This record gives sequence, structure tokens and C-alpha cells, in this order.
Amino acid sequence: MAVITIDGTRLEVPENKNVLECALDAGIYIPHLCHHKDLSPLGSCRMCVVEVEGQEGATTSCTLKAKDGMVIHTKTPELEKLRMLALELLLTGHPEDCSTCPKYGNCELQTLIQYIGPKTGRLKMRTKGFRPQEDNPLILHDMNRCVLCGRCVRACNELRGVKVLQYQKKEMETYVGTLHNKLLKDADCRFCGACVEVCPTGTIRDKLMNSEVKKEEAVVPCRHACPAHTDVPRYIRHVKNGEFDAAAAVIREKVPFPKALGYICNHVCELECKRKEVSEAMSIRNIKRYAADHDTGSYWKGKGKQLADTGKKVCVVGAGPAGLTAAYYLRKQGHDVTLKEALPTVGGMMAYGIPSYRLPREIIAEEAKVIEEQGVKIEVNTKVEKPAELLKEYDAVLMTIGGHKGVRLPMEGSELDGVILNADFLRNASMGNETGIGKRIIVLGGGNVAFDCARTAKRLGAEEIHLACLEARDVMTADEEEITQAQEEGIFVHPAQTFERITGEDHVTGVDFMNVKSFTFDENRRAIIEKEEGSEHHIDADTVIFAVGQRPDITEEAGLELGRGNSIVVKDMEKDKTTSVEGIFAAGDVIYGTKSVIMAIESGREAASQIDKYLGGDGDISEKLAPEQNADPYIGQCPGFGYEERKEPQIDEAEKRQDNFNLFDHGICDSDICAEAGRCLQCDLRLQISGPRLWGDFTENKEA
Amino acid sequence: MSALECAMKLSREEVLEQIKTSGLKEYGLEKELLSERLVRAVEESKEEEKELGVVAALNNADTTGVLLEVLLADPQKVMEGIAIAAYALGTEKKVLYLPEYAADKEAAVKEAAEQAGVEVIVGLVNVRACKGSALLHIVTAADLADTFAGCCEDGVYVSVNGGELKKVSAETKVSELTEDAAGAKGFCIGYEYYGPEAAEMTLEEVHPDNGVIRVLKASDCIVSETEKALLASRKQSCGKCVFCREGLLQLQYMQKETTEGRGKAEFLDLTKEIGEAMTYSTPCTMGQVSSKIALSAVEKFESEFTAHIKKKKCPAGVCFSEEVIYIDPKLCQGCGECADVCPKDCIEGKAKYIHMIDEFDCDQCGKCIEACDAGAIIKTSGKVPKLPNRLTKVGRFKR
Repeated sequence: MAVITIDGTRLEVPENKNVLECALDAGIYIPHLCHHKDLSPLGSCRMCVVEVEGQEGATTSCTLKAKDGMVIHTKTPELEKLRMLALELLLTGHPEDCSTCPKYGNCELQTLIQYIGPKTGRLKMRTKGFRPQEDNPLILHDMNRCVLCGRCVRACNELRGVKVLQYQKKEMETYVGTLHNKLLKDADCRFCGACVEVCPTGTIRDKLMNSEVKKEEAVVPCRHACPAHTDVPRYIRHVKNGEFDAAAAVIREKVPFPKALGYICNHVCELECKRKEVSEAMSIRNIKRYAADHDTGSYWKGKGKQLADTGKKVCVVGAGPAGLTAAYYLRKQGHDVTLKEALPTVGGMMAYGIPSYRLPREIIAEEAKVIEEQGVKIEVNTKVEKPAELLKEYDAVLMTIGGHKGVRLPMEGSELDGVILNADFLRNASMGNETGIGKRIIVLGGGNVAFDCARTAKRLGAEEIHLACLEARDVMTADEEEITQAQEEGIFVHPAQTFERITGEDHVTGVDFMNVKSFTFDENRRAIIEKEEGSEHHIDADTVIFAVGQRPDITEEAGLELGRGNSIVVKDMEKDKTTSVEGIFAAGDVIYGTKSVIMAIESGREAASQIDKYLGGDGDISEKLAPEQNADPYIGQCPGFGYEERKEPQIDEAEKRQDNFNLFDHGICDSDICAEAGRCLQCDLRLQISGPRLWGDFTENKEA
Repeated sequence: MSALECAMKLSREEVLEQIKTSGLKEYGLEKELLSERLVRAVEESKEEEKELGVVAALNNADTTGVLLEVLLADPQKVMEGIAIAAYALGTEKKVLYLPEYAADKEAAVKEAAEQAGVEVIVGLVNVRACKGSALLHIVTAADLADTFAGCCEDGVYVSVNGGELKKVSAETKVSELTEDAAGAKGFCIGYEYYGPEAAEMTLEEVHPDNGVIRVLKASDCIVSETEKALLASRKQSCGKCVFCREGLLQLQYMQKETTEGRGKAEFLDLTKEIGEAMTYSTPCTMGQVSSKIALSAVEKFESEFTAHIKKKKCPAGVCFSEEVIYIDPKLCQGCGECADVCPKDCIEGKAKYIHMIDEFDCDQCGKCIEACDAGAIIKTSGKVPKLPNRLTKVGRFKR
């Protein structure tokens, strides 16, 4: 240890620690610009100059090493003069008007100008005249604003080892850029964003940044997009390192069905993945699937949280993803949980909506078993008609009954024989019951459920299958892969159709359609449909399947207030899942309509937390399963990184898959998985980087 | 037996001891004992946890490259010097930097470098990256080799007025090197300007650090020379440090403005302020020494600067000739085109009146001459006819 004195304050600091850090850590502000806590000292900006007693002249405190007995002054008139001159010089090549800069208000240089107050008007000002570079994905460069602090160069070279950004010189103007001014992608940039993070000015900026959410969420959009906020970059990193158990444990910290999600999650994370701006989005779902498939459970089986029994009893009604999740976490909080399911097995829509060729039933059983083993009592074939009566036996009731009733459009012919509903059809098909379809099928609807219906009908032996929907091809709500795979299987897809009437005397003979010219919504969100004149046409069929939405299978007789789309009314979808009856809560599809498994999981987690609090717990259902991950910030060079393509899963050909319910998507193969995980930009690494320390953060300046 | 072979016969300690007893000094700007410099490199390498090494180069600020002759005349000697220093330090890291303007000389030293295991890099020495290395001037390396070959002679390398580079005693007076010294206006020695009194100073006192002595004649304009030297430095600077990058730009800009008749009184103080700050605010010779060019120029030849700025006169007759531009009152049509194009706004007149140029503000850019269709605007160093002293209608002016 060394004892040093800075402006009269005695500090005990480690010998050789740089004096600027000593001062900042001790709450003494010294202006600085090129210095950054996580980067090696450079000493080029001269803002942090100090005087050391017994040494001649000024020296930069960022490069000064603390030695015992050092007496340091940071605010002498000579220093202030030097600092002013340095900043005055620095600003001669920087645009004078701050107000047009996107970094206005968040700029470190701006705060320095306010603090130091340099002289103006004495020196020659210049515009560097660089063309702002906007052709790169994710990152904007405007070298006119650069003051050459060199932080980005050090971040790119020392911190990341990517070595893309370097000092360059054009005529007599030094600037930061890639060799030969190549585009970042061609220079093998890894788009980690470290340069953006450390840039003190508006020179290197994020191209797209959601400013409405917290910074961590905007920087790592996949994690934010996931309704359950699964730590995507963390488990991808584990997968890349071949640590599949650890990866699965990361996923399990947020969701109890990693495997099922690996097969069928609607992966909204991938839509937000920043990698898509560079080439293609990460195949996040398939990486999850690979991790879950290869998980031996070493980090979580028999581990994780289990609080002591509280003696409180909870009944969860409906064993879909929301109900199973809520039951699992409520049990972990120590409550006695009973899960009542109307159908013969658990899983809800995962088992009775999603066809088994997409999600094998063993997986549901396997993951439900974990929940049962945690101590949740499961009662199947038990339909609850009057939830309020459960309160006699239970301290709280959670309604997670989903939406199992198909919607029949009120149109001509909709009551004819041969018209069936999506939910009934898929449920019967799943249970191996008679579905009542004929040979020529028309599915009305364009979402994923409609495709599940069409493709299930195909596998049940239907000869000709048409799918028609109101939306145009490019705005159909089904996943793109669902649409193309269905077409490969010989299903005819008819986008932009109005359903005029279902024809037939007593049994369906077909459907009349017209082409949609335009389909928009007015300001009241009402659909406005313009039809193409004379486009009326007819498709023959003996069966029509409505796939235009599902609703909860519940009536007012259950004693709960119902709202739009027959949903159970709760006080607040996210924050307060209390129904109209005290002690009864609701979560999942039953409160917000048909969404996704991952949404249901999150809704179930929220409900579990709320109910735990209601029963006297602290509501903290979080748990730590995965080992500590020390993400290496030194990501190194990777030639061709930007151009690496998304690895595609292995999918059986249409002929092989279309007549059976066997799983046909086998995920990403062993030899590709590491490369796919290696494509991740690792946006989360940026959050490791220390933030700026501005004079306003220091108390001595606050008082002033 | 070569110098390196002689050294290798001794132990590392013995080599260090011999360097110490030889009293050999670093040839670069810091004239410390080489033995001390080597010891300091060892300490620095430990403290910074950086690899110990030997780096030889010219001063970054050296834009002339005159001393490269020492290397080119005997590349093997310099490489051996580097190798001896590395042997003394017990390191394998040996680097020689060549300035970018001498990139074509790389081939000439390649063979010797490979033999001695010296890496040759073209570019400026990055003093931050070289922490932990003993930074030696190329001449130091040559002298070190000579020391071990037993043929080292004390002395200073000089080339006067572009003449041949020779090694002379440090006691030599400047006047002994050239007959032109008598009656000279001053000298440019190393990176500094000196007045005529330097003729009687010894090389020890004037430090021609880059080996260059130039005798300044009456026809050499100090401002213009300074501007050119600063421009060369700007071109050579890596531009990473604020004071070097922006300071050199401002210094060069002010001298340029001055040579073009746009100098301002405050330029002198500003040159001093920036130059002084640069000298101790930059980590390498590029900024430390380049600023001295400007500082010594304004210090030793202040009157020349003042003449440029206040009287718009260049005593050497280099910057702006004595020419003036005037509007011939007999030819002027009073169209006003000249006033419109004048960047200094120094042409007075209105429509149909004879226009007049305010000579004080005019910097003789000549734009008005091009703009005048009547050919009434004339640049001359000869006699100027009588001109109107107030606004006069076209055709009304009488001599």
C-alpha cells in the first residue's frame, strides 16, 4: 500500500495504481477523456494533468503510478490553463454546435466543456469533412465528431482482440477507421458494440437502439424480447463451449419446459436478434433445443429452490403451460399445490393443440414429470365448473384453463354438417378420436393453428387441402417455415380471400371466396376490406375447418367476470392477476387470448409470484441453477464472421413426413451447433463495460 | 572480429560494465549515459510488465533523415550495436524503425537486419508500445558497435547546407564548419533557430540533433521556413495526441496566415502559448521538438514576424512582393464587380463612381483583377499614378 495525498486528502491506495483511478475511486474528480476504466492508459488528451510535488511540470494522472508519499495537486492555475488549452485545441476539429448531435445530453465531451469552460474564438476551427458512414449494420460512424481519444481503438484491440478499428491518416487528418476504409463486415468486425459503448462523443453510435426501454434491455434485445427474459446470450455461450448442462440450467432458471420450447417456441427473440442486421438472426430456438436435448440435468436435478412447507393450499385449474409453470413455482415456494386438468393428460395446448409431429408427447410427459416430482399433485380428467367452491378447501385458486373452444364465424353455412372447429379437430386428432373430416378440406384462417389443422388433415389422409385467409401472403401471421412446409406437403394456400359463404344444402359442398383488393384498419382498429369486383370463385370441399381463433371454454355460470373474447377479467394482465372473486387468480391464454407457450409460462410465473405474496411469501420465485459464467470479453478475430450464415435444421422431405405424425424437424446437427452458437454477437458483453464518470456524479461538484 | 563477436566473448555483466566505463551517451535528445538508459529499461519493463527489448530509430520528429546515412553507410554496424545492447539486457527483442519516407531503404538494411535478428518496422516509433524497451538513436547503436570494435570516436554528425555528413568534434564551432557563417542572418541547427551569435557556439552547445545545420541568408524568410518545417512535421505526426496533432496544425496555420499577409498581432503570443505547452505535453519528440521550431523562430526573429504582421512586409522579400493593386481611375466604369468579389471587403465604391482599394486591408489575392471587364485593375511594383481619395463620379477625376 502507498499513502498519497491528492488536493490535501490523504488516501491509502495500492502501490502503482494509477493516480486518476485513485482519485476517482476516492470521490475526487479529475477531468478525463481518453481514459477509460477498462482500457489501458493512453495520456493523449491531457485533461487529467496533475502536478506532483518535487516533480517538474504537469503529468497525466492516468499514466502516473501511485508511490508512497506522493503529494498531488489537481487544481492549480497552471493546470487549469493547460487543461483549458488542451480542450480548446481538441475542440478546433469538432463541430461547434452540440444541439444537432444525437449524443446531446449524453456526451462526455459536452460535460467536459461545461466543467472546464475553454476559451473560444482564438483558434482556427475546421470541419474535417468526413462523410458519415451509414452503410454498416448496427453501427454508425461520424468521424467529424471524433476527438481521437482512441478509446474505441483500445476497446477493439485490447479489450476484444478484434483489431478492426485503427488509427488511419488521410492527408494530414488522423481518424479512426478500418484498413482501406473497408466496411465493418468486410473488415471482420464482430459487432460487439464495445466501440459504441466507450465512445465519449457522438462519433460511433448505435444505428438502432430502442430508447424507450432500459439500456440493458435495448443492448440485449433477445433477452428483453423473450417474455420470460431467458438469458439468451449466456446459454448460447455455454452451448458454444459445449457446456450443454450449464446451458440448460440457464434456461431452466426462467422456464420449466426447455425442451418443449426448443421444439415449438415462437422465438420472438429471433425477431429482435441483432445478428439479423449483419446476416441472419441466430437460430436461438434450435440452440435451446440442442442444449435441452443434451442436458443430463447435473445442475438442476434435485437442486434448485424448495422452500419449507407453508401449510397453504393452492389449486391450479388447467394443466397447460401457464398452469404447470405456476404450480411448479408455487410448490417451490413451499405451498401445497393441486393441479386439476379436465383432459386425460397434462400439457394443455402443448398436448391437444400443437400436433405431435411438431412436439412429441413424450417430451411433455418428461417435463411434466419434473413438476410432479417437485411435489405438485396432478388430478387429470377433473373439470372444475365452479372455481369459487374450491376456496372452501384451498387458500388460493388459479384459473389457467386456456382457450379450448374454437370460434365459429357467423356466416352463411357455418352451421352445416361438415363444418368443424380448430380446437375440436386438433384435440380429437391428438387423442386419436374420430375427427369427422372428409377428403376435401378447406381450412379458413392463416395463423399457425390453421396450418396445424391443414397439416394434421393431410396426415389423417385427406386428399385435397386448401387453406384460405384474409391477410395477404406477406402479412400472414403464421411462421414462414409453416407456410412453406405446408406448401411442400401439397397444401394449397390462398391468401387475401374473403369468405363469402359456405355452400351446401345440409352438408358442406364448398366455400365461395372473393379476392381482397386491400385490407386495412381504420383509426378505431376496425377492419376495412375492399374486394376485387367480379372475383367471386368457388372451391369444392366436403369439410370446412374454422381456424379463426379460440376462446376460453367458460361461461358466466362459473361465477367469474368475463370480458372480451370470453376471457376471465383480471385487474391487470401483467401486474395483478386477481379476478372478480377474492382468492381466485387467472393467468395465461384465458386472460389475454391465444398467444404462445412462452407467454403462458411468463404469465404463470407472474401469477405464482403474486399468489405467493398473497399467501404470505416474499414472491421471489427466482432461482440460480447455472454455474457462474465468466464471459471472456476478449473475443478475438474471426475471419468472415459477418458473413456466416444461419445453420439450418435437418428437416425430412415432404414425401417422408406428410403421411405420419413422426417428428420431422431434427434440429441443428452436432457438427453445426457450435458454429451456430459461435455466430452470436454476444451483445451482453457490452454490459460488462464500465460507464462514464462525469463531474456531476461527484459530491464535491454537486454541492457547488 | 566483428564488434558483436567481441561483445559475445564477454559475459552480459562484463558488456554492461564496459558500456559504463566507455561513458557512451545516448545520441538522441536525452543525452544520458547509455548504461543508465539500459538499466532504466530493465526497471521499466518490470514495472510495466512489458517485454524487455532494444528499439533503435531516428527521432520521430526528424523529417530530414540526414542521419540515416550512418545506417546506410554500414547497416551491419548499426545492427550489431542493437544486438550488443540486446545481449547486455539479455533479451531477444530487437527492433529498428525506419521513417516512412525511407521505406525504400528497407531492402538495403534487410540482410544485415536478418543476420543480427533485428526486426525492421517502417513508421513512427510508438513510444507507448515501446515501454519496457531501451530506445536508442541509430547513431547510438553505431557508436556502441564502434566501442566494442575499439574504434569509437567522440563527435557530432553534421551536414552543413545539405553538404556531406561528417563526424566532427563537439568542440567545433559553427563558424569553423562553413565560411558562410560570417555575416549570416542566423542558423537553423537541429530543430531550432539561432541568431547570428550561434556562429561562435560549439556543436556541444547547439545540439544539431538531426545532423542538420543550415545557414540562413538575408533572403531566407524565417516565417516561411518555419511554416514549411511545421507542415513537414504535421505530415509526419501520427496524430494520436491532442497537443501534437492540433498544436502543430494551429502553429502551422498561424505561420501560413502570416506569410500570406493575414497575420494577427496575437499570433506571436499564441504561438508561444501553444508551443510551450506542446513541448512538455507530448510523449515523443514529434511534439516536443517540432514545437521548438516555432518557439525559437518567434523568439529569435520576432521582428521578422512583426514586420509580416504589422507592416505586411517580408524582410527577406519572399512572402509578398512589394506589388500593389490599384484601380486606374481613367478606366474604371463603376460597375462594382470588383467590390462584389473582394474577400476582404476592402474595395470602396458605388455604381457609376470610381472604385478604390483600401491598400491596408488588401492582401493582393487578385480576384478583383479577374472580375474587372474594363481591365482597370492593375497589379504593379512600379509607380502608382495619383488616385482619388474620395468617391468620385466616373469621368470626373482630374489629376
